[in-house]
Parts: sequence; structure tokens; C-alpha cells
Amino acid sequence: MEQLRKERVDRSLKVRTEGLYAISSIEEILYLIGPRLLFVAGILLLPLIFEAAPYWKRVVNVMCAYALVAISFDFLSNFVGLVCLGGALFTGVGGYFTAIYNRYFSFPIYLSIPLATLSGALFCTLVLLPALPLRGVYFAIITLMYPLLFSRIIEALNVLGGTNGITGIESFPDPYIEHYAIILPMLFFLFATRRFVNEDIGLVFRGVKDNDQAVRASGINVTLIKVYAVFIASLMGCFSGAYIAHMYMWAGLSLFALDFSVIPIASTVIGGGGTLIGPVIGSFILVPLSEILRAAGTLRIVIYCVVLTLFIILKSEGLMIYLQRKYHQFERWVKV
Amino acid sequence: MEGKGYEANLEERSPMLEAKELLVFYENMIALNNVSIKCEKGEIVGVFGSNSAGKSTLMYTLSGIILDIKFKEEMRGGERISVFGKILFNGCEISSMKPHERARLGIILCPERRRIFPESSVLENLLIGAFLSRKERKENLDYVLNLFPRLKDHLKRQGGFLSGGEQQMLAIGRALMANPKLLLLDEPLLGLSPYYQEIVINGITQIRETKKIGIIVTEQYARPLMPIIDYGYILENGSSVLSGTKEELMDNPDVKSAYFGV
Repeated sequence: MEQLRKERVDRSLKVRTEGLYAISSIEEILYLIGPRLLFVAGILLLPLIFEAAPYWKRVVNVMCAYALVAISFDFLSNFVGLVCLGGALFTGVGGYFTAIYNRYFSFPIYLSIPLATLSGALFCTLVLLPALPLRGVYFAIITLMYPLLFSRIIEALNVLGGTNGITGIESFPDPYIEHYAIILPMLFFLFATRRFVNEDIGLVFRGVKDNDQAVRASGINVTLIKVYAVFIASLMGCFSGAYIAHMYMWAGLSLFALDFSVIPIASTVIGGGGTLIGPVIGSFILVPLSEILRAAGTLRIVIYCVVLTLFIILKSEGLMIYLQRKYHQFERWVKV
Repeated sequence: MEGKGYEANLEERSPMLEAKELLVFYENMIALNNVSIKCEKGEIVGVFGSNSAGKSTLMYTLSGIILDIKFKEEMRGGERISVFGKILFNGCEISSMKPHERARLGIILCPERRRIFPESSVLENLLIGAFLSRKERKENLDYVLNLFPRLKDHLKRQGGFLSGGEQQMLAIGRALMANPKLLLLDEPLLGLSPYYQEIVINGITQIRETKKIGIIVTEQYARPLMPIIDYGYILENGSSVLSGTKEELMDNPDVKSAYFGV
């Protein structure tokens, strides 16, 4: 009886490009940077491609904003082991901070967004601090509750515009500035985190995820490491929130909406967790999909859920992991 | 090195468990290479080998856990695990059965590193093990507590707070609660002091004598277990390099130096 087994083998090109010799031929250089180049160029060209459809140009911005929150989720959950169910906390805090700076202190837009990003991240890290020394569901629960808490506080005390939100926030001076004000930071954060998780401190982050006791035994303060990680993740989330507030010229309770928590998680599932680029691709699929489904009215959520469930059943590894494997390896049948 | 008398014996009746030509690949790495193993009712079979010899993979393959690992790896896009070969249990082909179905047939695994439920008490741990045989659970409980009297003193304590030796007894006890016909013990002596090793080994012998079930036990260091086994296999890098009865193995000079430290 002959038994066959499917074997996965690295492409010879991949093996050749692993060492320094990769720079010896154009083909190998292209193999290495081709996908990245294609990805970056594609994203940079998106606003130009959608020149003909002004509505969709807005969607491109929203897509990138969600992608940034998704990167922060992927970074926290797959590299530090903190499951954050509250992307909405970051976007909400970032949005309201920039609104306060811009409206109440009259800071110009190029000052209010960076300030809101930094101070918002600091604020988020502070409020999340109590849950950081603990392991388990505490962090997930507390991140899920905070957006609710803050939106109810604003609603009940009628501060910061109450239910109407803060209106009249300065908008971007030019539509192209508006596009690239999110696309460039998104790409920057994407490649920065990718590099970051492979640096020394990134290795410690992954160690915290795998076994925090062993990290403690190596003389590293785990809580401090988690504080750094949460700060970095909230930087991305707060920037995204601040950007959205300026884009809509409005900071309202919807910045704390569940969408900002759920869609990034779903994007990470679809794109493939632990790749950082996967969440971006995931949100580039999910956000336009949910825009298209607006026509379906109430059924939107139903269709959305079905798509997600199908993804989990059929390709639960995530698109990016699948693509990476196909790119680097080929398969063949071999005799056992 | 094959024991002739043993082979002749096997031809008369088909063994309780017979695994033929097991092949397991973790991606392209071969973890088990053509391993065949037999276990008779009332017999203790020892599987010895160093780290990475494939002992745990063999246990996972026999108990079916490998299929579960395979499924999970597939879902998250990890390594591809391929399993080939035949496993016959009382003459039935079980190689495609899920682990819980095999457990219902009576193949119970006591996993490496014990894997007890750390937040349940000792009694609860044992009762969880008895889920498949609730009718006999009173007798089984008495049996386990007689076998390992130390557990009696800690019935209400959380499993995670027991010492390593007690946790091992608990793990074996939990496996026994399921009324096994074939008990798979994966490194039951791992990290135990000689004193506890003796208790566990005595326990294993007693199980064989009173329950008349088949037991397959793996270990790295063969000396403590050698006196009680009936038949032994030696694995090296995934292949079974030697097999034979206790005497045959003990006489082999290679085995002596490698697994007895002589």
C-alpha cells in the first residue's frame, strides 16, 4: 500500500535570500522587498485611485483609522498577551482630547493631534494601570468597561458637550492632507511596531505573553513592560481617534462606540493575528464591506456576522499567514 | 533481538492493543518512524528512550490526542502533522477515532507533567476522571485511595497545591477512575524523588495485579521500571531500535550503558 504525504518545502529563492547574499541579484532583492513595496505603494496610491468616487475616499481614511486600532490590538494581544477589548477607549479618549485642545484651548490642528495622541495615551495607560499586574481576564474586562464608563459620565454629567458632542473642530485644510495624515502615520506605526517586536525589548514583550513568571525570574519588572506596551498601543489608538474627530469635525459619544472595539478584533482574526500587516489587510476588507452592506439596512450585521463566521470556519489561520506560507513555501506529494 | 517465545505467544491470540508501522511527521520532521508496539491484557510494556526519542508522540498517537493537536495546528496555520499506520484495539481499527471515543473504549492517558486540574480539589479531580464510569465510581474511588493512601489526607485540598509526587499519584488515580482497559502512563516518574518513585512503581504493579489491565509506561531512565515490565521497547530518534523481554533488554550491553548508567 502506498501512502502519500503532502510536504511543505521552502522555495529555493527564500533560502537564498536568507543570508547576506540576498543582495546579489535583482530577483532576490525583489523577492524580499517586492511584497512590502507593493503594499506600501498600493496604500499610498489609494486616494488617487478613488479620485473618481469622493464617497469612497472618505472610506479610505476610515479604513486606515480602523487599521491603526487593529494594529494596536494585534500588538497587545499577540505580542504582549494582553487581550484588549476596548479599542473604543483609545479612540474615544484621543478624540475627546483633541477636541478639548482644539476647541477650548484653540490649539491648531498640527498641535492638537500630536498632543492628544501623547496625553491620551498617557491617560489610557494610567486608567488601565490597576489591571496590569494581574494575569487573566481582568485587563480584557476593564478595557471593555471603560468606554462605557466614560461615555456614561459624559452623558450623565453633561460635560464636554454631553450627548451632542463637541462640534466645530477644525478640519484638515486640504483633502490630500486629510488622506496622508492617516496613511503615512499608519504605515509608520505598522513598520515601526514590526521592527519593534523584533528588537530586544520586543523579545521581552513576547516573553511576557508566553510565561510571565520566567520573565520575572530574569529580573525584569513585568508590570513596567506591560505599561510600555499599553502606552505604545494607546498611542496608535489615540492617534486614530484624534484623526477621526478632526475628519468629522466632531467628537461625540460614538467615538466610544463598540464598533471601534469589535471591528479591529474581527480584522485581526481575518487578516491573521501576530503578523501586524494582517490586521491592516483585515480592516481593508471589513470596513469597505460594512460600507457596501449599508444598503442592506438592518441585515447588515447579519451578513457581516456570516462572513466573519465563515472566515473562522474556513480560514481561521488568517489571510496573511496563509499568503505568507504560499509565498515562501510550495507543496508537493511525497511517498512516506 | 526479537523474543521468540513472546512472538509465538502472540500468534495464538490477537493482542489487546496492536499498533502497526506508526509514522508521525511534524511538518517535514519525522517523529515516529515505523514503530510497531503491542500490549497484552495484564501486561506492563515499557517504552524507553531519551528526549526527542518520540515517547510522548507515541503516547499521543495511541491515545488519539495527536489528532486534536493536528486539528488545532491546522486551524491556526501552524505545522502540518501527518499520522500514518494502524492501531488495533481488541481487533478493531481505531486509528481514525477521536481521543474521547478512544477513552470510551478504555484507552486512558495519564499525560506527561501530570496535567491535573489545579483549581479543583483532589476529590473533584478524581470525580472528573470518573465521568465515563459513574456507576462504579464508589468502588473506583476506594480502590484509588487504597492504592495511594496519601491522597486520603488531602481530599479537600486544591490539586495545584499538592507536591509533585502527590500530583503524580493524583494523575494516575484520575486515569484509574475512568476504568481503563489500557492505561498509558507518560513519564510517571518525571521529577520524583526515589521514595516517591517507589510508591508510584508499587502502585503500577498493584494495578496490574488487581485490575489485570494493560499498561504502557514510558520513561527516560529505565532502571527503576525495568524490574516490573514484561516487555520493553527502546526508541531512538523516532525508531524502535530494540525490543524484547526484560531479561533480553537487561543483557544487552548497549542498553546497559545507555539506560541503566552502568
